[in-house]
Amino acid sequence: MKPMKRSALRWVMLSQNAMTLGSGIVFPFYLIQIKEIGGGFAEYGIAYGLFTICSAFLNGWFGRSSDRFGRTPLLLIGSWGMAGLFLLFPLATSIAQVYALQIAMGAFGAMQRTCEKALLADLTDGEPGRGEKIGRYQTGIALFSGIAVIAGGFLIDYFTLDLMFYAGSALLLASGLLLLRVDERGEEGQAG
Amino acid sequence: MKGRRGRLRLALAACAVYALLLSLSLHARSAQPRGEQATDVGRVVSARVDRTVTVRSADDARRAVLEAAAEGRKVSIAGTRHSMGGQTFYEGAVVLDLKRYDRILAVDEQARTVTAQAGATWADIQEAVNPLGLSVRVMQSQNLFTIGGSLSANIHGRDPSEGPLIAAVRSIRMLLADGSIVTASREERPELFRAAIGGFGVLGVILEATLELTADEVYESRTSLLSYREFPQRFEQAARSPDTGLLIARLSTAPEHFLERMYMTEFRRTGLPLASADRELKQDRAVELTRFVFGLQRKHDWGKSLSWSLQERLFRSEQGGLVTRNNAMRPESDFLDYRDAQHSDLLQEYFVPLSRYEAFVDGLRALLREEPLNVVNITVRYMPQNGESALSYTASEDRAALVLLINEKRSAARLERLERLTQRMIGLAQSLGGTYYLTYQPYATLEQFRRSYPGWTELAAAKRRYDPGSLFWNDWYGKYGSEEGGGRR
Repeated sequence: MKPMKRSALRWVMLSQNAMTLGSGIVFPFYLIQIKEIGGGFAEYGIAYGLFTICSAFLNGWFGRSSDRFGRTPLLLIGSWGMAGLFLLFPLATSIAQVYALQIAMGAFGAMQRTCEKALLADLTDGEPGRGEKIGRYQTGIALFSGIAVIAGGFLIDYFTLDLMFYAGSALLLASGLLLLRVDERGEEGQAG
Repeated sequence: MKGRRGRLRLALAACAVYALLLSLSLHARSAQPRGEQATDVGRVVSARVDRTVTVRSADDARRAVLEAAAEGRKVSIAGTRHSMGGQTFYEGAVVLDLKRYDRILAVDEQARTVTAQAGATWADIQEAVNPLGLSVRVMQSQNLFTIGGSLSANIHGRDPSEGPLIAAVRSIRMLLADGSIVTASREERPELFRAAIGGFGVLGVILEATLELTADEVYESRTSLLSYREFPQRFEQAARSPDTGLLIARLSTAPEHFLERMYMTEFRRTGLPLASADRELKQDRAVELTRFVFGLQRKHDWGKSLSWSLQERLFRSEQGGLVTRNNAMRPESDFLDYRDAQHSDLLQEYFVPLSRYEAFVDGLRALLREEPLNVVNITVRYMPQNGESALSYTASEDRAALVLLINEKRSAARLERLERLTQRMIGLAQSLGGTYYLTYQPYATLEQFRRSYPGWTELAAAKRRYDPGSLFWNDWYGKYGSEEGGGRR
């Protein structure tokens, strides 16, 4: 049981690292995207705020849903949904479209954030050294988010913003694929 | 989702759906018009250009120009984009960004000239010539602008003995529409020289320029407080005095003496050796404080009053201070470095004969009382007569140049009002024998433009000769310069 959980945790970490990397490489360039469309700092603030506020309203609901349907299915929907949305960003031509995308992103983001935490709690529940495990997990996430932002900064010089969104999208797809491994070991482990 | 096979199927299905969505997205993306949004520091006008090409060599520029010609695209030219009238872009155009083409090629100490690439800024030139005891003859009050952009706008400065920039130009090297690179000066292709300087980039790419320098000197600054009525006479006296090196005045925008009180600062020649003042080029001091006070001035009437009284103190403390010409020509700070999402700092400039200065200020005050506009500050410079450029703004006589800094919300309604007001202010200047500057918002009517700039036909003739295919183009030229006039965006 223990090795299974540990292995599940590793897959969650890998998956969420890919997730962090995928969303992180485009994150610094939202502002450029918004400026390209003709917005400014205020629109950037609104777009980012919409994302956060929308997820704020949905976190509780998704948390309950994950109690009912399981964490990984929701995490899967979250990452694949975001992968799909990233494919739409290069097509956005107005601020309103970006706002709509950000609201949808907020929904998938809420799924991901809440379920990630819940799953992390499940997988470390009753385990010795829980804090240490979560600390190690968080180290990975923090590391990848740093790498993502740095990589994004370098890559934007060579590629267009659109390509960055496509690359981010592919990483989000990969994040979901990695989650499929969790389902196998983690939840069975839990069931056992 | 149970079982290894089930998960494999799910993974494959996800990948297949994703591949479909990705190809749909790429397909839709490729069907969208290409391009990027281009604007300037004023952000009032903008256009979707095809692409921006960073120019690092003359070859880069030539390649980009020939490629654009082959694609049937127009070419616009940009430096630091401080021209606010659509001079740096055009719908679907290829924009050449000259900022990285910025080397100082030669400084001739004996002949007192500097040759620089178009993307070099006045700051670059100042750094190169300051150690030699030399100084720029004509430049704006800030040193962040490129030489190419300054030439294209035929800018002017604070030295009352100097005309616009064209007066200090020996020669320019230009890339023309056919890919050739030619020299233009008063002797060689004088019609190109006259039309390209002040021609806002519609005849070709100014690649290099050789500019005349002058000696760096030690000035003593003297500021006096005076009323706008006594100003013209005092101003002219100061401008004509051989002791005056630089001259600048300010009109109050504080509500209690709106467009009535003035400061005039004279930088007088002292004849002292350079060593008696600090020769090191100064960096801006107290930038954050200046910016803060400027912010208050922008937003509140009391801020304008506060700034006016702070300036009084500042001038008193600096009274009689020694400063080198190079340091006096450094910027206070880049006040236009202002990125508010909804508002823009917009400049406008009017040139009026000194004899009509009082009437112009009275007219302006009446107009601004009728339709209040957030005029943050107004500076006044002395412009000696000069008709060298085809689009000269002081062709007939010496003029006072009033620069208005306006803070305005970029909403459609506000800009429409600004356009109407601008046309009235231009009308006021014209009724007093004056004119306006072309570098700012493209709000003048075509009739106003043609009345103030009869030399536009000369520019159009040079355009037919040097760019018959109209390869070099921008929003401003589309509105005013082309002979059809105003027909196109």
